[in-house]
Amino acid sequence: MGDELGRWAEPGLLVLASLAEGDKHGYAITTDIADQVGVTLGPGTLYAALGRLEERGLIEGLPAEGRRRPYRLTAAGVAELSAQATRMQGLAALSLSRLRLATS
Amino acid sequence: MTGDPLLVRTLLACYPAGWRRRYGDEYAQMLCDMHIHRRPVLILDSLRGAARAHGGLLMSTRSPMTTALWAAGLFAVAGTGFQKVAEDLGDRAGGVYAWLVAAAAVAFLALVAAATPTGVALLRGRDVGAWKYVSVPVVGAAAWFGVLRLAQAISDGHGGHSTANVAGFALVAVAGIAVVAATAWAASTVLRRLPAAQPARLRPVALLVLAAGMAISTVAALIWGLRVRAVDPSAFRGDHGLLATPFLPSWIGALLLMAVATALATAAGRRQLAGDSLIGHGRRP
Repeated sequence: MGDELGRWAEPGLLVLASLAEGDKHGYAITTDIADQVGVTLGPGTLYAALGRLEERGLIEGLPAEGRRRPYRLTAAGVAELSAQATRMQGLAALSLSRLRLATS
Repeated sequence: MTGDPLLVRTLLACYPAGWRRRYGDEYAQMLCDMHIHRRPVLILDSLRGAARAHGGLLMSTRSPMTTALWAAGLFAVAGTGFQKVAEDLGDRAGGVYAWLVAAAAVAFLALVAAATPTGVALLRGRDVGAWKYVSVPVVGAAAWFGVLRLAQAISDGHGGHSTANVAGFALVAVAGIAVVAATAWAASTVLRRLPAAQPARLRPVALLVLAAGMAISTVAALIWGLRVRAVDPSAFRGDHGLLATPFLPSWIGALLLMAVATALATAAGRRQLAGDSLIGHGRRP
């Protein structure tokens, strides 16, 4: 799953990270990502990511509230986000330590 | 959805029907929430998303080789159309036309190379029933020549823009497209029935060469048209109608089809490459 995620990583990961806070519908996801990360996900990009995440069972749609449908992380989504975040944390730590070595 | 602004309904209509059934309501609501009419960048993003949704449907239901075959079929139709555009203008664009033909030939050979292992398996008799599909292009070509004769008989003695001539031309064009489509279908069926072992990297490299050849041909077709227009601005006269086709919409139409075919072939090559890479990783000790 991790390698597959790598191909469409960023929007998907951003959506997973946003939903880690709680259930959200599409517009709430984009505003949350824009506020927290400074990235504006366009509607086409967001729904392409939502479709793929849902298809892979990482998120699931909840009953619609009016015309807005909230999404939430599944257990598989939590595991995937956790694995990706750990991997990124390791890469970030490695990069920072090597950069420090290079500049010292 | 009917109460949504026209722009929202239009953007939604760009998505496939199945996608709209699943996401349509919530997507329309989000476009309204985003005030999409004030944000051209997001409009473009929505259009890109729609294109991806259509492409995704195609890609999810077909193997890379099948997609490449249909891309090659589309390119053949576009190339035939371009040849019809170019035939009356001669070689007014220097050697560009030769580049176009050479690149298209390389693309064709790459497609043949990608399909060679399946061809060998067919010749070795692994699936005798598959031979009937090989007859499709042969029978199709024979039928097309029959239609051509019929069209000639229909349009014989009639003027260029007469109903008979237009009907004859349409008959030949539709029959040609049908033969190309039937050939692509037959070839993809054979490939599916005979999943032959591939030498390492043959198919991804061949499909990428196919895409590169198509891309060079497309660029050459673009340069050809620009040069012809530069050399002789009256070359693309707009009054030739559908029959003698050296006119601007024909050139642009052929170019667009060639570009779409190239994009499909590139996507197929990339998918094949990605698929082979994943398999390669899996085999590493």
